[in-house]
Amino acid sequence: MSLYNRYILTVSLALLLSTVLMIAAGLDRLQVYFTIYVFEALVISELYVYFNRKARRALAYVSALLFGCFSIALFLQIFNILT
Amino acid sequence: MRRQNPYTWAGLGLLVAGCLTSIPAYFIFGSVWLTALGLCMLILAVILLALGRAVPRLPPEVCSLLLETGIENIAALIEELGIKTRAIYLPSSPTCLYPRAFIPLHANGSRPEITRALPKRLIARYGSNPEDIGLLVNTIGSAAAGMIEARPGATPEHLESALTSLLSGRLGVADGTRVICFNNHIRVEIDRPRLENGSTWSHQCLGGPLATLVASVAAEAWQKPMTISKEERVNGKHTVELEVGS
Repeated sequence: MSLYNRYILTVSLALLLSTVLMIAAGLDRLQVYFTIYVFEALVISELYVYFNRKARRALAYVSALLFGCFSIALFLQIFNILT
Repeated sequence: MRRQNPYTWAGLGLLVAGCLTSIPAYFIFGSVWLTALGLCMLILAVILLALGRAVPRLPPEVCSLLLETGIENIAALIEELGIKTRAIYLPSSPTCLYPRAFIPLHANGSRPEITRALPKRLIARYGSNPEDIGLLVNTIGSAAAGMIEARPGATPEHLESALTSLLSGRLGVADGTRVICFNNHIRVEIDRPRLENGSTWSHQCLGGPLATLVASVAAEAWQKPMTISKEERVNGKHTVELEVGS
């Protein structure tokens, strides 16, 4: 199995397993689900350091996008608390 | 339409499925878990689409054809000349920008001392005696060593990192590597290799494809000549032992 396939399989399994666990735990806040997903995706991407430069750059853009979405969600949450 | 790879197709599929799942789940059904599942698909879709642009576009069959042709040409040359001496893997030099393998044509049991940079030619002279002559050839390792982003340091950790990055990340021919140094020897263990080793005459001289990769990268890291002293495959692990020259 190539490194790319292993990476995708790891991310898929982590996301699906966490979804099942969070549903079983009875979580009903979408922000919590999203935060966990972003955290998992960022951590797993950082662990795969042996990708080539092009793949690492592409994943850096994905990480930036996910972090941006997370920041917006966080900002909206803070805004809701304050108002 | 441009030919897309499976990652891009899978990414596009998940993108559509993710949108079709998350949007109705959030706005119509008000189901949090179903929306979360849709978000999962969207994150995976973005990752797959990003990787789809980064994976090599050349099909593996074409790479295999090029590799086999190159190996067969070198093998034919070595067999025709009846060379039995082991190749010396030389680091890059001002005259040659990538590591190459030097095969002495005449050897009296001892390894020739190469003290100066050899000219960038097929037949190269390394000493003043008439028999101090050999073949300077490019191997798979010569090209592969150029794929490494920065020259690794002369430590087992740096070499291990460079080899894992090359064999696992760039070429996808093994799962990982482990490097052990002792005296003037370097032992490299390659986990689950996917390149077959032949047993032809040229392999006795140059080593297998994986060994040539390892020797070239190690020569580049240490900036010293390397010789493959041992190569074996046991229980799905390929072991290459290199002797560091002076």
